[in-house]
Amino acid sequence: MDLSQAIALRNELRNNKVIMAYNGAISDDLMLTLADLLKSRMLAQDDPKRSKTIFSVFMEGVQNLIWHGGDDSDTSGMILITQNEGQVTIMCGNRIAQQDTLQLRDRLSRIENADKETIRQLYREGMSSSNEHEGPGAGLGLLEIARRSSQPISYAFVDVDQDTVDFILAATI
Amino acid sequence: MLLNIAATDRTPEIVLTSQPAKLSIKGESYPEDVSAFYGQVIQAVNSLVESPAGPFDVEIQLVYINSSSIKALFRIFEGFDDYQKKEQKVTIQWFADEDDDIMLELGEDFIDRFPNLTIHTLST
Repeated sequence: MDLSQAIALRNELRNNKVIMAYNGAISDDLMLTLADLLKSRMLAQDDPKRSKTIFSVFMEGVQNLIWHGGDDSDTSGMILITQNEGQVTIMCGNRIAQQDTLQLRDRLSRIENADKETIRQLYREGMSSSNEHEGPGAGLGLLEIARRSSQPISYAFVDVDQDTVDFILAATI
Repeated sequence: MLLNIAATDRTPEIVLTSQPAKLSIKGESYPEDVSAFYGQVIQAVNSLVESPAGPFDVEIQLVYINSSSIKALFRIFEGFDDYQKKEQKVTIQWFADEDDDIMLELGEDFIDRFPNLTIHTLST
């Protein structure tokens, strides 16, 4: 990337009201550092309740990336946070194996159009389920995100090749 | 004393005694290794189930809890359920800041999942 491309990228981030952008390997330490940064910015707006909701969505999204993300910059996680007219959108993306998308697609399709009461019911059912393959939260994190969002969650699967897919999830608070 | 774990920035203080049977969990909960952290607690509560010592009083006061800790907490509640099956009363006080809808709702979710347990949600 040359400097003019860097300026163009910065303008792109600015125009889209991006307040945090990260691409690369995500460790537990990094998650905490970014969470602290986000928390202090949100607290500066003097709304502790909302700040906590944003913190919660961020943590669940990023914990998913740590659990499912790879180690190099192509396969590891992406975090993008925008703030526009009082709305904060947290986007988390990672590259996953095609075969791992089936259960995720199924789960997301049940959540995306569900009303808050249905999400809460799914959440309650999810509290007791365990499935090591899905990580320590076993799908509860996704429901936590959906539950805390002020708008329905949105997501996309973008095929990279026959075996891999870029997955991205967005939640607005 | 069965457990006496000091709080950290991301893990709660946990105190468990058998005489009287008492458990308190207070603070933040997003440990790096949830199964290592809560494994010891689940095990200690289950050991109390093996030798119940009268009414069991539980106090829970969490600030933020991540989803994997919630699953671990669910297993601890299963221990409370087992304790109560031995004809011993379990009373759980679930404290949350009055403005903290997230924690108050979570208390209600535990009430929904464990209808046999006496769980009071209390705002502070």
